[in-house]
Amino acid sequence: MNKTWAVFKREYLQAVKKKMFIIMTFLMPFFMVLLFALPTMMMTKGMGVRKVVVLDGTGQLAAAFSNVPPPAPAEGERDRRPEGLPQKVDLQYVNAKGQDLEAGAKPYLDRLTQTDTDNRLDGVLLVPADALANSDAHLKYYSRSATDLTQEGLARRASRSAQHYRLAARGLDPKEIDKLIADFDVDAVQLSKSGEEKKGGAENLLVGFMLTGLLILPSFIYGLEIMRGIVQEKTDRVVEVLVSSMSPSQLLVGKILGIAAVGLTQISVWMLMAAVVGGVQGTIAAMAGDNFLQLLRPMIFVYFMVFFLLAYLTYVCIYAIGGAICNTEKEAQQLIGPFSMIMMLPWFLMVGIITNPDSALSVGFSLAPVWGPMTMYVRTLVAEPPLWHIALSIAISIATIAAFFWITAKIFRIGILSYGKRPTLPELWRWLKVA
Amino acid sequence: MGEILAVRDVRKTFGEVRAVDGVSFTVRRGTITGLLGRNGAGKTTTIRMITGIFMPDSGDIRWLASSDGTSFRDRIGYLPEERGLYKQMKIVDLLLFLAEIKGQKPAGVRKRIDHWLDRFELTDKRDAKVEELSKGNQQKVQLIGTLLHDPELIILDEPQSGLDPVNMVLVRNLLRELRQEGKTILLSTHMMGEAEKMADEIILIHRGQVVLEGTIDEVRGSFGKNTLHIDFDGDGAFLRDLPQVKRAAIVNNAAELSLIDGADPQEILQASMSRLRIRRFELASPSLEEIFIEKVGTETLSHEVAR
Repeated sequence: MNKTWAVFKREYLQAVKKKMFIIMTFLMPFFMVLLFALPTMMMTKGMGVRKVVVLDGTGQLAAAFSNVPPPAPAEGERDRRPEGLPQKVDLQYVNAKGQDLEAGAKPYLDRLTQTDTDNRLDGVLLVPADALANSDAHLKYYSRSATDLTQEGLARRASRSAQHYRLAARGLDPKEIDKLIADFDVDAVQLSKSGEEKKGGAENLLVGFMLTGLLILPSFIYGLEIMRGIVQEKTDRVVEVLVSSMSPSQLLVGKILGIAAVGLTQISVWMLMAAVVGGVQGTIAAMAGDNFLQLLRPMIFVYFMVFFLLAYLTYVCIYAIGGAICNTEKEAQQLIGPFSMIMMLPWFLMVGIITNPDSALSVGFSLAPVWGPMTMYVRTLVAEPPLWHIALSIAISIATIAAFFWITAKIFRIGILSYGKRPTLPELWRWLKVA
Repeated sequence: MGEILAVRDVRKTFGEVRAVDGVSFTVRRGTITGLLGRNGAGKTTTIRMITGIFMPDSGDIRWLASSDGTSFRDRIGYLPEERGLYKQMKIVDLLLFLAEIKGQKPAGVRKRIDHWLDRFELTDKRDAKVEELSKGNQQKVQLIGTLLHDPELIILDEPQSGLDPVNMVLVRNLLRELRQEGKTILLSTHMMGEAEKMADEIILIHRGQVVLEGTIDEVRGSFGKNTLHIDFDGDGAFLRDLPQVKRAAIVNNAAELSLIDGADPQEILQASMSRLRIRRFELASPSLEEIFIEKVGTETLSHEVAR
């Protein structure tokens, strides 16, 4: 027991003192938040101002394309952008009534591609003269980029304006028209069985990715670390001193628990950071225009700890086997590469799992060994799976870890001292039976 | 003096290779026992089985029961053939760790660490990392780690590799001192000269088998006084062609001649006197080196030529 403790202490202290640990602990959360917040920030704040010229053949749509900003949203409806322009647009309205639209557009189109950026246009919208009378009329939008999102917003403005005009032409009161053609707003609310409500919607996808990333990334990074450590001990022959002083199981328990303690320390720091951020009303979240914390239920943090540990111990055992049967770090990484892809499988299916957390696929993965912790955690994050699912998943993971640990200890016993070539699968099988 | 360790008919095979093929010997308490043999003879595998790193395929290794019930792992100190140190650790932290895995309490060890660091002139390196040390100094750290928990049996696999002559003397004196204190030392080496200077008993292993065992005097005595040591001035090359000489080692102006059975040394003296100026002429037992070559050398050479 004292020997296991000595190994535990050494592993823990050596790892915590490493630069890698400090960088991971303090920079990872920022990195993750940034990774997911940046696209949102770009969408909401825009990347500068886009200059768009509207050539109006009808001469009637000046009001729709005036540069008057939309009224400030009322409290609580920050996300409603009814006019739907995702970026800041500097509109220049040109009344082209009675002109040849194509010919009139020529000088503006030239300005789309010119090199002088001060004068350069980002888009040119052509509204044909028959746009109001003919419901089949096509608007034309020119831009340099194939995926210019400005176009949708402009089209919506034009359409609304046209609807407005057509209805007014039938003698309706303009105030009435606004009410008639108003869009619906949808507030996504996720309802749980316990009756709690939380905000639903697309942001859940981001949060799902972010928290799952935080859940499994350390397992992979420290898994590699433990593998590297074991290979290093073999090449440095320290392992001879260790194994002549204690049993391989004592050594393995000390190592794995030591590294697990490192991981726990790390997520404790993260939780603390999250609490602080939450306490000051989420500076980062607010920067992104959203308060991520309102997407989370408190149980999420408890589950995070539980599934973090389960995922961690599972992966670390797999990596320890890799370390025990390989002689060089390179060899070990090559061997473990395909396995980590398999272990990561739920990560690649994340969108499907988040959007359908109760589908057969999601349930299957969440109850499977190895994939269970990650998938189950995602399910608790975006839905409220039955308690027995969660309990079963945890039980299966614990059984998996016990089995892996047993296998690892056996392979460790022989593999850690075989300096020769890597064992083949039949040889590994024999090791399991003999040791 | 009683036995501390008995190895009986131990075998270990790696794939097709029989690394250890029925080795038996005993180590007596309070002696320095030399485990000799060429590289690849099976010394290290034997040692790894004694230290519990490998399980033998068959045969058994017996320990004299300890008086206070400490496990045998904690009663041995093992210095592996190659350095076995964590390169990134500070010397003092590493030594503490090595003592702890031998069941020592950290508080009790610190003083001993300082004592040994002082003894090996490493006090100023106390807080340095292992990787910053020279090879020789790393070897000394390893040796301290082997001795910190005050083991009864000290097993050293090639302890003097990487040491300069001064440190070699340091280690030699230390081992003698430890024997004085009643420790038992099992020492594996291929340096016969060192073994001859230190060991009380030797075990010669060749191709996984014990080919010779006993005290140094016994072993040398059993070969009889059939070796001539001659110091001379002149060209002694002809000595190796004399009919009475089985094998000759001639270096500069000294020759060690193994004689064939029944050869008369007087005849060689006569033959030499006419051609050389003799400064020393001694009939003696063969050196360990000579015995080693006699026992395993020629056979190995012919084996290698055949390949």
